[in-house]
Amino acid sequence: MAIEIKVIKKPGRTVAEQVYLPEIAKGLGFTMGRFFKNTFGPKAKKEIATVKYPEETVEYPERFRGIHRLTQRTDGSPRCVACLCCSTACPAQCIHIEPAEYEPDDPRYGYERFPAVFTIDELRCIFCGYCVEACPCDAIRMDTGMHMPPSTRREHFIYDKDTLLSIPGRDGSYLTANPRHEPGDPSHPGVDRERGH
Amino acid sequence: MPKFTLDGKEIGFEPGETVMQAAWREGIEIPHYCWHPGLSIAANCRMCLVHIESGRQMAMPQLVFDEAAGEYVPATKSKLQPACQLEAADGMVISSTNDEVKTAQASVQEFLLLNHPVDCPICDQAGECKLQDYYYEHQGTLKRKLTEPVHKPKGVRFGPTIVYDAERCIMCTRCIRVCDEVAKDHVLDMRERGNRNEIILAPGRELDHKYTLMTEHVCPVGALTSQDFRFKARVWFLKSAPSVCTGCATGCNSHADYDPRNGKIYRLRPRDNADVNKFWMCDDGMMTYTRHDTDRLLMPSVGRGDARLPVGEDEALILGAEKLKGVDGDKLAVVLSAQHSTEDNLALAKLAAALGAEQLYLAALPSWEGDDILRNEDHNPNRAGATLAAGGAALKSVAELPADVQSGSVEAVLALGWATEETLEQLAPLLALDRVVSLTSHVGALPAVASVAIPVADAFELDGSFVNAKGMSQSFGPVLPAPAGVEPAWKTILNLARQLGKDLGFESLESLRQGLVDAAEAAQ
Repeated sequence: MAIEIKVIKKPGRTVAEQVYLPEIAKGLGFTMGRFFKNTFGPKAKKEIATVKYPEETVEYPERFRGIHRLTQRTDGSPRCVACLCCSTACPAQCIHIEPAEYEPDDPRYGYERFPAVFTIDELRCIFCGYCVEACPCDAIRMDTGMHMPPSTRREHFIYDKDTLLSIPGRDGSYLTANPRHEPGDPSHPGVDRERGH
Repeated sequence: MPKFTLDGKEIGFEPGETVMQAAWREGIEIPHYCWHPGLSIAANCRMCLVHIESGRQMAMPQLVFDEAAGEYVPATKSKLQPACQLEAADGMVISSTNDEVKTAQASVQEFLLLNHPVDCPICDQAGECKLQDYYYEHQGTLKRKLTEPVHKPKGVRFGPTIVYDAERCIMCTRCIRVCDEVAKDHVLDMRERGNRNEIILAPGRELDHKYTLMTEHVCPVGALTSQDFRFKARVWFLKSAPSVCTGCATGCNSHADYDPRNGKIYRLRPRDNADVNKFWMCDDGMMTYTRHDTDRLLMPSVGRGDARLPVGEDEALILGAEKLKGVDGDKLAVVLSAQHSTEDNLALAKLAAALGAEQLYLAALPSWEGDDILRNEDHNPNRAGATLAAGGAALKSVAELPADVQSGSVEAVLALGWATEETLEQLAPLLALDRVVSLTSHVGALPAVASVAIPVADAFELDGSFVNAKGMSQSFGPVLPAPAGVEPAWKTILNLARQLGKDLGFESLESLRQGLVDAAEAAQ
């Protein structure tokens, strides 16, 4: 079977285009038309894609990955148990955690540890969301709906534990929709032989 | 040598050996929790069940659910044997991978995880846990028990070094056997039965013998955690490098686990060596890594006390050489160190010979409590190596140095290392000398009396060897790079010799080691 060859002609220029001036006039006419329509025309007919940021903002989509927050338990302590899963998953290595243990008189003693230090370098963060995926406790979330507030100082981008705990989710809550089964609750089965089973 | 066949592979064994032991020696792992090559056989975890396919088959009755009939019907299954307790016999054919064994392994694994809290994210063992490994290898199914797991004591302090979590414990009794058989101290035992089983301390006792960290080391799960390592690091971030313990003259082989991201050593683990430490290390030896980044001397300095001034590396070498230049060989004292590698000591001994110094001293730490398990009374890893480096001649103790200074027979001192039995007060006469040069990795009494102190690498940062009390030379490599500007002592000594215009007869570690071999042959 012979190979068919289809020759496509390169689009050339018309005389009007080659002369240049009519095309300029057409383009400027379009621009000026938009200018008068959007400046003096009725509001309903305006065609503007941009907003006057920062006075006006656009709501980010629901699944937008904003700055991190650490979720709280009902008593205000962090849900985080400092397992380092997020910092293990983090491809930018921007999470630094130092685990510590609850005091022996705390009902959570022996059950859980907590982050004594939890720092995220938001400048290094690439907002991939792997930390949120990795977290087994729903302790770190990116559902704040906020982007990084700009600053001229680097240290303003190093978020420590207290800062991260003080950022609410988009719904204004510091908790998450997933309830916890806390040791020490009356509903909890108990942590030792005497109270247990 | 008699042989048996395990999964189609012939394995030779010594008469009396178990199947597990022979397979382990061949580098084949039969899944197990309670068996440990250095401990007695308990055969209680049932993970190592294997099927003896040769010989008369023993059958066990069981009920199997018949889907067609909709009821349980009588059937039989093969009787499996624990490989750890099964004495190998010539011509035995054993399978550790057939369907019956696989079912048994999966069932045992599911059983062990029935009441397990599955708190891997907050468990220090995660990443090196046999429950995790075997779950992936041999189970891989969801737990069928839906009720609340049995709760048991957590965070129990067993002693100053060990914390116990009964919920994670699988009752393999390895820790009990370590205390009984290695430490010879029956301080741990087990109480209750079934799912209420837990490890307890002997009444009125704490887990406080010299080998408590071995209980944590043998624990296949996260039930026993070390107070020191607890919550410090995740094991998947750590890398391991072989090392030799600097704690005593036994020279136990170890793995040094460090985090390459921050250059910090987090723990030591024993490294198997049948001739030295078998599988074990003592607590104090395990903690020798803490010395690595405490009290390090990293900046060369000149002067003493408040007048001590930091200088650059090159200036320190020039100033050190100036102090030693023109000293009468008879009046120069050279102090070798029982804490430094044989190579470091040999380089120093060569420099001493080149300078004509005949007064050789040995700086060493005071002896500590020894035992007949592992701990040697000599708290120094390389007394034998330092003596060998000096040509086998008896070395004077540093305790004699102050008197020799006062009597005027010593006018200059070149000292290696920080470790001395003598305190700063005892060494005070050295402060009267202008020419005291110290090559040291850490601060100590000897560097404190020195007029020129030059930092050198410590045992975790160099290629070297220690000669232990048995006379075995054990070499080790660097775990971490030395800090910027800090060289191994042998190299610093070589540079010092160049400043002094002396040729020590070696230019590299290889040629220095050849000198060591020659010295060893000469000593024989």
